[in-house]
Amino acid sequence: MLYYTLKRLALAALVALTVSFISFGLLYLSSDPAIAMAGETASDADIEAIRQLYGFDRPILVQYFDWLQRAAAGDLGKSYYFRTDVSALIGERLPTTMTLGVCAITFAILLSVPLGVAAAIRPNSIIDRIALFLSVMGQALPSFWFALMLIVFLSVSLRLLPTSGSDTWLHFVMPTVVLGYYAAPAIMRLTRTGMLEVLSTDYIRTARAKGLRPPVVLFKHALRNAIIPVVSLAAVQFGFMLGGSIVVETIFALHGAGFLAWESITRNDLPTVQGLILVFSLFYIVLTFFADLINAWLDPRIRIK
Amino acid sequence: MSNENIATTAVTKASIYTRFTGHQGVMIGAFIVIAIVVVALFAPVLAPHDPYHQNLLTRLIPPVWDSRGSWEHVLGTDHLGRDYFSRLIYGARISLLIGFGAALISGLIGTIMGVMAGYFGGRVDMVVTFLITVRLSMPVVLVALAVVAIVGGSLQVVISVLGLLLWDRFAVVMRSSTLQIRSMDYVAAAQAVGCSTKRILMTEIMPNVVNNLIVIATLEMAHAIILEAALSFLGLGVQPPLPSWGLMVSEGKDMMLFEPWLITIPGVALFLLVLAINLMGDGVRDITAPENRN
Amino acid sequence: MVVNKHFSKLLLGALIAAGISTAAHAGKSNDTLNVAIDRELESIDNYYNTAREGIVISRMVWDGLLYRDPKTNEYLPNLATAYKWVDSKTLQFDLRKGVKFHNGEKFDADDVVFTLNYLADPANGAKPARNVNWWTNAEKLGEYKVQLNLKKEFPAALEFLSGPLVMYPNEYYGKNGPEGMALKPIGTGPYQVTSVEPGKRYKFKKYDGYHASSPKGKANIGNIVIRTIAESNTQLAELFSGGIDWIWKVKPDQAERIKSQGEFTVKNSSTMRIGYLNFDAMGRNGKNPMNDVRVRRAIAHSIDREGIVKALVQGESIVVNSLCFPSQFGCTQDVPTYDYNPEKAKKLLAEAGYPNGFETPFLAYRNRDYAEAMINNLNAVGISVKFEYLKYAAFRDKVQSGGAPFNFGTWGSYSINDVSAITSHFQSGGKDDYSKDPEVIKQLGIGDTSVDANVRKAAYKAALSRISGEAFMFPLWSYNTWYAFSKDVDFNPTPDEIPRFFTAKWM
Repeated sequence: MLYYTLKRLALAALVALTVSFISFGLLYLSSDPAIAMAGETASDADIEAIRQLYGFDRPILVQYFDWLQRAAAGDLGKSYYFRTDVSALIGERLPTTMTLGVCAITFAILLSVPLGVAAAIRPNSIIDRIALFLSVMGQALPSFWFALMLIVFLSVSLRLLPTSGSDTWLHFVMPTVVLGYYAAPAIMRLTRTGMLEVLSTDYIRTARAKGLRPPVVLFKHALRNAIIPVVSLAAVQFGFMLGGSIVVETIFALHGAGFLAWESITRNDLPTVQGLILVFSLFYIVLTFFADLINAWLDPRIRIK
Repeated sequence: MSNENIATTAVTKASIYTRFTGHQGVMIGAFIVIAIVVVALFAPVLAPHDPYHQNLLTRLIPPVWDSRGSWEHVLGTDHLGRDYFSRLIYGARISLLIGFGAALISGLIGTIMGVMAGYFGGRVDMVVTFLITVRLSMPVVLVALAVVAIVGGSLQVVISVLGLLLWDRFAVVMRSSTLQIRSMDYVAAAQAVGCSTKRILMTEIMPNVVNNLIVIATLEMAHAIILEAALSFLGLGVQPPLPSWGLMVSEGKDMMLFEPWLITIPGVALFLLVLAINLMGDGVRDITAPENRN
Repeated sequence: MVVNKHFSKLLLGALIAAGISTAAHAGKSNDTLNVAIDRELESIDNYYNTAREGIVISRMVWDGLLYRDPKTNEYLPNLATAYKWVDSKTLQFDLRKGVKFHNGEKFDADDVVFTLNYLADPANGAKPARNVNWWTNAEKLGEYKVQLNLKKEFPAALEFLSGPLVMYPNEYYGKNGPEGMALKPIGTGPYQVTSVEPGKRYKFKKYDGYHASSPKGKANIGNIVIRTIAESNTQLAELFSGGIDWIWKVKPDQAERIKSQGEFTVKNSSTMRIGYLNFDAMGRNGKNPMNDVRVRRAIAHSIDREGIVKALVQGESIVVNSLCFPSQFGCTQDVPTYDYNPEKAKKLLAEAGYPNGFETPFLAYRNRDYAEAMINNLNAVGISVKFEYLKYAAFRDKVQSGGAPFNFGTWGSYSINDVSAITSHFQSGGKDDYSKDPEVIKQLGIGDTSVDANVRKAAYKAALSRISGEAFMFPLWSYNTWYAFSKDVDFNPTPDEIPRFFTAKWM
């Protein structure tokens, strides 16, 4: 177990390194950091001065390792745009995104797993049809359209919820629905498929023959096995939400890490983007690690070698 | 499960055909997809106007069912006066290309990686897990932005970018499914008998993971199509004046609260395509493994 | 109307009965104006942001020595009661007595000297550099008298001192610097800041101790809240649901429809921003069709500017023929012009050796639909384009490094009402200059440095005529801004695109 954990940690470090290097390179290729830092109205002289001052004329590898060194010591630098510490900036914005992500994935799971199970128990029934329809809607509806429609209906028309901002828990209701709804279809479909397969296997038939009551069969045996790929997927979906909430955060003016990431990318705010990517990749690593652990617990045959 | 699958391979062609045509979902899905493909193929014949022709004097005319509309432009005109119906028809080409192209590329990459990782475990698994985590940690928008900045935004670029970015779910699901299957008795049996790895993968692993594969493939096809719309929203997808449905949706966004048909029309088209793909995916899965139905 | 009024009124009634507050943000009833802007401010400190919203806030929270009247363009005394040109490079100011900063600090010469010397030091990185790089230092001549020593003749000095250059409190800023100012701004202006959530939301309260003799006048509205909402539809939804009382930069098609619904006040005002086409006349990007003046003139004739203004730009925008905005000092429309004439364009192209047109890269960063309309015009005369639509930073990057032989850009001159703020920026041999014409550079140099108004006008006219005549750049149209706000608000936009909330009041 210890060996496994160490291995995963080493892997984690390698991932973070690779990702940060790739993104560093990509950002470099698509913009000139001296101009980004100098701002919109700087003159030639200003830009040159900044280039010298911050060492932007050094080779890219040197600059990368410089950043890496400082990041390893906990110093993520200062944002080119806000001139404040990147770590402080991220610390300020991340909680909103985390809250949104946790609520959204919870909503998605609570919505999709029961639906997937119900659809699998009665295939081709009304429930199955509804599940399919909702699943397709979840994929085909552009999230910005869904978000704005909810706003128009629930906020403008019915005045039930606030339109935008992040002051109260009410402000998170619509964003949770929009973001969670986006993740739901995959989880639902996979649950349904998994359940369908498992329900027709030998050991389920055996369990039934043994006279075990249907709910026991369902949950203790069937769901446990069917859920395995779903757990992995849910981890992926949750991670996706951390970064993929850009549209939701933009529309609901939530000012979280997703919105910050997009704005920073377009503003060529290199340190902020690098910092965010580092944080996100660390989350993914932790998430996939836990997903694998959960899977191993669910099915002891999956021994991680 | 294993016994039934061996039985499946012996099923005749004829009965697959009857099962196909008898399955309601798959027929509806296939019908819609074929209809859209036909529209895409015969676009020049079907479209009443040139989808690129601008006319600043006839901007934002609503569809014919509105009092301000006319039959001249059945589905109205967009913000540059281009005929919406013609753009919708030509847009079918682009959405289909994107959906199939991206799903194909990402499916190939992801399945190979996931199955390899699940089956061989050990170092292969480590490498694949590493690659998956790296890919998940990379923000799609950053890669798309950088690619567009360096190479420019064309349809081929978009399909390639989507294909190279959407394999993660394939890999993740294929890996965990393969992990499950690998520990099954019949696999151990096949190994004991001395079957070659290739044969085991083909005859034992693949048929049993293919159901999940189809589910993910249909999801990713739809995902690619919708993602293109999201990228267009950010200016990183297909570039104007190309009439992609996703781009039409994002171009109509500013008028959303006033002339909702600008978004609804291509939105419905996208919805139908995604629905059809899903129906077909589900149906194909049902048909090829019918014993999974109760 | 998008939302069914009858139905929603019924629901509304039921909800009120159920005790759910629907008037949480009603502006007038709690004397709070809720404003939405579309971008995050880097910093509320005036010298560390460059967005227009920063300019708006700076007029609310701080004052300058002078103040330009938006209607008459006169320079009125504000923190300075009088000024004098001692010689062409030296300015003296008499300062107003009895003014206090929001934190109680007294305003006097120390503040002016400190502010101006702080800004003049390039190590402090005040933005934008061109606002602060034209004087060497400021000296204190008395408790209420200062002297400003310019580096060279700089006729726009008063323009800058009456707008973007605002006075900071020396004790507070000396101790807390930009970081402190960014979190808790202190100024002498008609509004004081009560809360700062960087990038998200700023709250302001009327400053009761504002000096009554200010040309800005005392504020009427008691509280203002400025929030960043990036998505335009969300801004509209907030306006419709009453969460926001005032928005601007509304898209023309949206503004038109809001106006016709009649529930909100919609106003339009011209701005100093103009659009232009820039050509690689000198071959910075290598040999390309733009090197030839006939090609440039052909392109000028091929664009249907009137049509685009009428259909797309709308509002109070006009076609401009000179590379400046008509109200700017030195701007004249008496220059060579190009009518919309595709036939002539094709002829010119054939003369230049392109009877079948050619393909060219074309860059833009905003107003994609205008760009597409222009591309359509170009296609009609045989010119096809490889269109690159980039974010502003990437666009500016590419243009300034010589990578854009043909691009569509705009310039707002930071609302500086002087030709030097635009024409000189683009045609004085700088990074955006793709012609570097010696004659133009010479004339602009004369205009930029002379203090004689007539000499300046003549020089600028010569430069502008040559720019238009040789089509080094092709001026397109002026921009306008749409404002939409609650009927409870009495607000009037100004042509310099700097909304003055301190003059707004409740109906």
